[in-house]
Amino acid sequence: MDYILEVERVCKTFPGRRNMKSAFTLDNVSFSLPYGSILGFVGENGAGKTTTIGCILNTIVKKEGTIKLFGREMKDGDTDLREKIGVVYDGDNFPSYWNAGELSQIMRGFYRNWDDSLFRFYLDRFQLPVGQKLKHYSRGMRMKLAIAAAISHHPQLLILDETTSGLDPIMRDEMLDIFLEFVQEEDHSILLSSHITSDLEKVADYITFIHNGKIIMTASKNDLVYNFAVMRLKESQFQALEPGDILAYRKRDLQIDVLVKNGKEAGRKYKDAVIDHTSIDEIMLLLIKGEQV
Amino acid sequence: MTGLMKNNLSAVFAGAKIFSIFMLLFGAFSVAVISQSLLIGFAMTGIIGFCVCAITASNEEFSSKWGKYKLTLPVTRADIVKSLYANFVIWLLTGTVFAGIGVSLSWLFHGCPFDYPVDILSMFALGISISLFMGAVYFPCFYCSGGEKSTVFFIISLLSAFGIVLVIVSITNDLLPELLSPGITVTLTGNAILFSGSLLAFLLSLPLTIRLFKRKEC
Repeated sequence: MDYILEVERVCKTFPGRRNMKSAFTLDNVSFSLPYGSILGFVGENGAGKTTTIGCILNTIVKKEGTIKLFGREMKDGDTDLREKIGVVYDGDNFPSYWNAGELSQIMRGFYRNWDDSLFRFYLDRFQLPVGQKLKHYSRGMRMKLAIAAAISHHPQLLILDETTSGLDPIMRDEMLDIFLEFVQEEDHSILLSSHITSDLEKVADYITFIHNGKIIMTASKNDLVYNFAVMRLKESQFQALEPGDILAYRKRDLQIDVLVKNGKEAGRKYKDAVIDHTSIDEIMLLLIKGEQV
Repeated sequence: MTGLMKNNLSAVFAGAKIFSIFMLLFGAFSVAVISQSLLIGFAMTGIIGFCVCAITASNEEFSSKWGKYKLTLPVTRADIVKSLYANFVIWLLTGTVFAGIGVSLSWLFHGCPFDYPVDILSMFALGISISLFMGAVYFPCFYCSGGEKSTVFFIISLLSAFGIVLVIVSITNDLLPELLSPGITVTLTGNAILFSGSLLAFLLSLPLTIRLFKRKEC
């Protein structure tokens, strides 16, 4: 399989202010994004998603590890690689005194492949007023504009950092449609960082979970949705489980929830257990708040 | 680089537009009234003021995610810094042209506004040097500290620029009459030292700023 993005053993430490103890560490982060797919990058706030993206985009200097984009490491001078990447950050991506028309003019000066007609097409589609200053745009409008700008230079890779957070469900759905359209091209991929797992369930092909700066799991979405399951067990049933079958568990008042990799296999093995299909939300909760054996 | 220049110019433009209106009114008054000090004030305000507009607009880089976003565009960090320096020079020239027009009109209507025509050159050398020293101090500090402390570094850079210029002027005023024959040569040499010193500082601060920005995390 060919990968558009390969992150290998990336480490980054932000020293704390007092007595220089480490406040946050990105610890051996590794994952890969194949061509033609969407990778959901999930984690709670402060888990290290934005720091990882910063390392990928060279806005943050990594301490160790390698990051390959289109098969090679991106240095400051590799502007040709950046031509192939579109980025959307959460919040205000552009100065508020611009309007969409000015944004287009300025972006034309940055990208060789800037497609003004495509940008206008998205402005029409998103019903964004061209002459209105961005400071008068709503948050949703600003995010739509940022996405329009990110894809109007025909990039191959979109890196979206919390793009859908703070948007209403209708607007989020509209955005997700755009992302799915984007990956119709075989050589296009998206790295979509979010903590809204329902969005990722709709569009992602792979999901990587990050917690406290460490990757805790990468799996295909189909695997997570169709194979992963949660066993609802009593204490005695839990004691009878083989440790190798337990990915994570969480003790509740009357039961213990156990995350397993293959629900069908677990069902065959532990016949008296109640096994439920699970959501990415629940998997994330169990992986992060639960305990490992 | 084209995109960066367009971005920088558009950032300054709104502020510069308002400042231009002020300069036009100030200029009209300075030209109408025969006052040497008013004309000096107008020229200095024009030359330094447009540079201040350029500097304050660069603070916008950190008020949104644009400063970070720019790093994801197909430009190098060195290009980003170079474009800021080029933008600064463009607004310095704009201010100089404004001041030049005001002084020329005053001369046209009322004759030479100074005792000697060479004093006009000294006035421009002074204004341009203050601006260049201000840029030379501000940009490295800005990229070293980030957006939060930009206002205080702006004040420091402006005051430092005045301080450096005063030191150079007092040194040249003391030393040059002893080394050269008194007259126009002393004034011209003093201006040349002041201008070349500020230009050198400005040019030297460019690689320093690039180096600092290359280490900067956004």
